[in-house]
Amino acid sequence: MTHFRQWTFGRKIGAGFAAMVGLFLIGGAIAIYALDTVRSSKDKVIDDGVRRAVAVEQLRVSSSEMAVNSRGYLLTGSEQMLTQVRQAATALTGQLSTLRAEARSRPAELALLDNIDKARVDYQTSLDRMIALRRAGTPVERVGRAFEADTLPRRETLNGQISALRDQLSQQLATDRAESTARANAAATSVFVVVLLVTACGIALGMALTRVLGRQIGGVVGHIQSSSAELEAVAGQQASGAREQSTAMNEITTTTNELSITSRQIVETAQRVSRTAEQTADAARTGDATIDQTRTSIAAIRRQVDLIVQHMLELGEKSQQIGVIVDLVSELAEQTNILAINATIEASGAGEWGRRFSVVADEIRKLADRTAGSAKEIRALVEDVRGAVNTTVMATETGAKAVDSGSQRFDEVTEAFGRISNLVVTTSDAAREIELSTRQQSTAVEQTNAAVADTARVTQESEVSSTQTRQTAAQLTNLAGELLRLVSTKAGG
Amino acid sequence: MSPDRPGGADVAERLADRLAPLRASFDLSFMEPPRPAGDSGAHLLAIRSGGRPYALWVADTAGLFTDRPVTALPGPLPALLGVATFRGAVVPVYELAAVLGHPTGGVPRWLVLVAGTPALALAFDALDGHLRLPPEAVVRYGEDTSSHQWMNGMARLPGRTLGVVDLAAVRASIHTMTAHLEGSRRR
Repeated sequence: MTHFRQWTFGRKIGAGFAAMVGLFLIGGAIAIYALDTVRSSKDKVIDDGVRRAVAVEQLRVSSSEMAVNSRGYLLTGSEQMLTQVRQAATALTGQLSTLRAEARSRPAELALLDNIDKARVDYQTSLDRMIALRRAGTPVERVGRAFEADTLPRRETLNGQISALRDQLSQQLATDRAESTARANAAATSVFVVVLLVTACGIALGMALTRVLGRQIGGVVGHIQSSSAELEAVAGQQASGAREQSTAMNEITTTTNELSITSRQIVETAQRVSRTAEQTADAARTGDATIDQTRTSIAAIRRQVDLIVQHMLELGEKSQQIGVIVDLVSELAEQTNILAINATIEASGAGEWGRRFSVVADEIRKLADRTAGSAKEIRALVEDVRGAVNTTVMATETGAKAVDSGSQRFDEVTEAFGRISNLVVTTSDAAREIELSTRQQSTAVEQTNAAVADTARVTQESEVSSTQTRQTAAQLTNLAGELLRLVSTKAGG
Repeated sequence: MSPDRPGGADVAERLADRLAPLRASFDLSFMEPPRPAGDSGAHLLAIRSGGRPYALWVADTAGLFTDRPVTALPGPLPALLGVATFRGAVVPVYELAAVLGHPTGGVPRWLVLVAGTPALALAFDALDGHLRLPPEAVVRYGEDTSSHQWMNGMARLPGRTLGVVDLAAVRASIHTMTAHLEGSRRR
């Protein structure tokens, strides 16, 4: 009983019902025992009464048969009648023995039986004498008279004794019935007491069980109420979460749709990239011949540029030679000018002829001046030519360097072109891989989309279920309140 | 620079245009009659010495030379560059800029023999040309003009005016320097 609080309601209720059933079994057993006792007592009374009444009646019948058959014998002398008389006498004797055996505990009946037996013996003795008279051939009338005078009173005595026994039996039967009725009443009283005790125990047990269960149910219902409130709150949160999740699922569905579209676009783009890469690879293969031709052309340009530089250097040398010649002409003009001046100086002191010579010298000087001017112009032109040649040579050398650099760059470009060609092949492969991967991704996205759609549907169902759960929780809260109120009322009552 | 280029054709045409007047002028000089005396104008040499332009009377010179080797002589006169040979004679060479009191720089390339005796050569940096000027373009200073120490005239040119160096005064100045030097030696 120390763990009675830890018993389940079913166990407690079962234990209560078991106790009640035990009590009812005890009460029932007591009642059945009492009823059986009453029934046995009644049956015994009835059986004894009936058996003894029958025996008494059989006594009477046997006595009558003896009387009848004896009269028949006495009248007819039939041996069959005599046999029946003796059989009836035997039956009477046996019946008396039976009655005597049953009346061992009742002295009054034994006394009556003794009287009957004595009357029977008298009657039998008288009857035997009559029979002997009939056998002896005594006339019937005489025998009849003797019979009426001797046997008949004895027979009456016997019948009287039998009637007294019957009365005694009737009295005894009434007494036994009264005793049996008294025992039945006592048994009924006992049963009533037991029923009262069982009822009281049942009421006490029911009240205790009701109090205990009410208290525990009240506590549990309180917990259920608070849990129902929490469940309602959680269901509300779950419903709102499910709605948010449904919204998120819709957004995810939209995003995955866009992602699917983007994947298809990526696939198309990857296909275009692959085609472009293949075309680029073809163009790169075509470009190799073009590159060789271009390299040959660059080499020819390089040779032509070297030739131009060589020609320009020769032109520069020629210009330098022209400059030297011009310097010579210029110097000659200067010396001519000096000569003319000196001629003028000399002529200035030579009179008229000197004056004429001075005119000639003046012309020579003018010519020398013009020659010097022309030489100066030629020098300027030659300088221009040399400058132009130098500029051209420098430009050509720069061009040659540029051609060399371009050739080097072109080699690098060729190498880069080769790498580009290889990379284009790699790009083509990568584009195919991207296309394949994106197709797989698109398939995965579609599967994801289907899964998300299923999840959204499940989420909506979960939202509906959460709403129902919340409603059920609210109903459960109300029911718990009702139950708590009922339990509290019962517990309080 | 090829003739078929437009620029080259222009230059050749311009030179051809210039050549015809030159040829005509050259031929004309032999066709003109002899000009009367005194109509020859003034002959001057435009020179450059010490970074300054001057003019020399041609009549005051005895010859013009260039790039003559000058043998340097040790001596106390900074204007004396050395001696050079002219027509078989050894002539002292003085730097005109130094004589005129101007700073000198480099070796003068041009030499001019001064008329008169003893022979004297002056060195200057550059010859700008021979000038033949009309009389009205030339001014001669008087003998008593003492305000112009080394100049005895002025030549007007288009856009500029040149002072004409008085070579006699220069000679006298050089004589004065050398005499003073000889006098100091004698003392």
